Amino acid sequence: MTKAYIIGTSCISPQNSIDSEWFFDTITPSNGDCFNAIEPSYKEHIAPNLLRRMGRAIKMGVTTANLAIIEAQVKKVDAIITGTGLGCFEDSERFLLALLDNDEQFLTPTAFIQSTHNTVGSQIALIMKCHDYNYTYVHRGFSFESAIQDALMLFEEGKETILIGGIEEHTPNYITLNRRAHKLQEHDFALPIWESKTSGIQLSEGAAFFVLNKEKTENSLASVDGIQTLYKPKTAADVLTKMHAFLKLHDLTLADIDVTLMGFSGDKNFDLKLNEMLPIIQKESIAACYKHVSGEYHTASAFAMWTATKLIEKQKLPKVLSISEKTPYVIKHLLIVNQYLDINYSFTLLSQC
Amino acid sequence: MISAIGNNVPESFLSLSQSKTGIGKINHLTTRFKDEFLTGEVRLSNQDLADLVKDNNPDLNRNSFLAMLAAKEAVLNSGIDTSDGLRTGVISSTTVAGMSQTELYYKEMFVKEDHLNVLDAHDCGDSTERIADYLGNVDYVTTISTACSSAANAVMLGCRMIKHGLLDRAVVGGVDALSKFTFNGFNTLMILDKEWCKPFDENRKGLNLGEGAAFLVIEGENALNKRLGKPLAEVVGYANANDAYHQTASSPEGYGATLAIQQALAMSGLTPSQIDYINMHGTGTPNNDLSESMATLAVFGNQVPKFSSTKAFTGHTLAASASIEAVISVLSLQNSMIFPNLNFTTPIANLNLVPVTKLINSPINTVLSNSFGFGGNCSSLIFKKA
Repeated sequence: MTKAYIIGTSCISPQNSIDSEWFFDTITPSNGDCFNAIEPSYKEHIAPNLLRRMGRAIKMGVTTANLAIIEAQVKKVDAIITGTGLGCFEDSERFLLALLDNDEQFLTPTAFIQSTHNTVGSQIALIMKCHDYNYTYVHRGFSFESAIQDALMLFEEGKETILIGGIEEHTPNYITLNRRAHKLQEHDFALPIWESKTSGIQLSEGAAFFVLNKEKTENSLASVDGIQTLYKPKTAADVLTKMHAFLKLHDLTLADIDVTLMGFSGDKNFDLKLNEMLPIIQKESIAACYKHVSGEYHTASAFAMWTATKLIEKQKLPKVLSISEKTPYVIKHLLIVNQYLDINYSFTLLSQC
Repeated sequence: MISAIGNNVPESFLSLSQSKTGIGKINHLTTRFKDEFLTGEVRLSNQDLADLVKDNNPDLNRNSFLAMLAAKEAVLNSGIDTSDGLRTGVISSTTVAGMSQTELYYKEMFVKEDHLNVLDAHDCGDSTERIADYLGNVDYVTTISTACSSAANAVMLGCRMIKHGLLDRAVVGGVDALSKFTFNGFNTLMILDKEWCKPFDENRKGLNLGEGAAFLVIEGENALNKRLGKPLAEVVGYANANDAYHQTASSPEGYGATLAIQQALAMSGLTPSQIDYINMHGTGTPNNDLSESMATLAVFGNQVPKFSSTKAFTGHTLAASASIEAVISVLSLQNSMIFPNLNFTTPIANLNLVPVTKLINSPINTVLSNSFGFGGNCSSLIFKKA
């Protein structure tokens, strides 16, 4: 499968990633068991008549999409593909509570309309007047991965420029329910995230968009060489075997991977396989992680891809991300190994261009 | 396939060929509007469904049950063996996901511990992974949610992944169980008809909601030949385009729909006159049916093929509708039948478009199936007799 070039990107996350100058220098800590996204002033990015009705997921998505397009200096795209595990949860919850509280009476449709999972993708299409291909993937830790896979196929089918993104939002109630279900960390990590001895994730949110181009341009930041998802692997050995096969498909071995960005979530059970893989990866590559700064969400891998793009662009691995405590001489190839709830695994290969 | 017209394909075929609608009074959905509206409910209760699936797992909800049953039927009918070493994908779609369960326990989850696991099945990915685990030996899973065109996009993705050599075959389709959430959503939009819906009728008032699931097994030629399988039909064209007009409404001229139909036709290599039958999206809302009619006229001019909407049989099953209608399209091809557009009496003023209103027996070689959704999502699929 042909590779694609990232020519523009933007990211809203619990860190100051929306500021294009920010490069992991200042780190905003979690709230213990969750992170909130640092959101910009949306007025500069979205028309007031639209802004009024938008939930946070839509605002985050539309803004980062817009900024990615500005960076890419393109006027139009040939496809818009989004990934979101939960969709517009805030609007879903608003409509649900209204109908439960009022026994299905006195309802207005706005929240229902905006609750549809493809709202972000369709709002972008509306704003850009884009009549082309428009898909929304909603599969847990494969939501953003499916968007990448689809884009790579579309390039082979003749598309030139594609906008892809991952969007997730949480609400106070959603955090409360996850807390009550004992899915979250009780306190901030006492140990580095990959050494966590406790169960629970730090629930988070954010949006990251990318403009991908079929051809390399002057402003190409990195290339996306390939993606593969792995559903419910049984053992760490399974993941490793698939990882090696994936690299081989791209004529690479682990030794060619300058940085391996791993999706340690801080939940000791979900991270078991990655823990088992870590020494093997460290032998030939430099291991790094990111969820201690992004938190965990269905589309955290979009934050990982944004991070990977920055690392390649700057040719630098910030200390705060490094597991290996080694500095790469160059970052030519970077592999993201993500896991979500120990169910959804994925490999994404990016390269310097 | 499971919907208001039957729990499996043979039952559905019987209802279709007898022009028997599945839309009626609400039995299972808890709503204050129970006696006021008609819906296309699957006749089985959750317990009945659990018995059929042979799984009483409390984490399973109506959405999962429907999806698992329909996907299993499709796989059994196809004769494929997911453990033969070939790469099988499950590409499903849903809009409501676990909401039918979440809405029952949402408030309680904040005060009691009993139903906190409902949260795990709230998202769209859950039913897809249930299908994958139920079938076993599945290499790839993903889920699409593009409102009412979702399952058409799942069919499309399955075909594309096979073409790109990423999968050997895919179980593709969609599911949506009825929920108070969607019912009230559509009610506040004021697009529900309290009577039987009348697609393409001048006096149409809106849609009837339905529920169900349908899946198709799509196989690449190599995998099919390897097991000496016989195809039921061939997918020869597909396209997805966006209306980019309004978040919920379709453009009056049906621009997105026109693009989808034209692009699907271009891909199939068929001329408009080679389409024998169109299974329309035809929800019965004033907006959709007018917009779709305009698109049909734009593509087919004064030679519009025979067409009908089968939503007056099943109700609008949202994310499942495109796969339910894909199964119906295949049934048309296999049985040389066009199933009627029920409840139609008066054509839309000035358009002169009259759907098929009585069952027609005649050879059908090609079917165009349209599906359009919120967010301007427009998809068209073209099936050809194998």
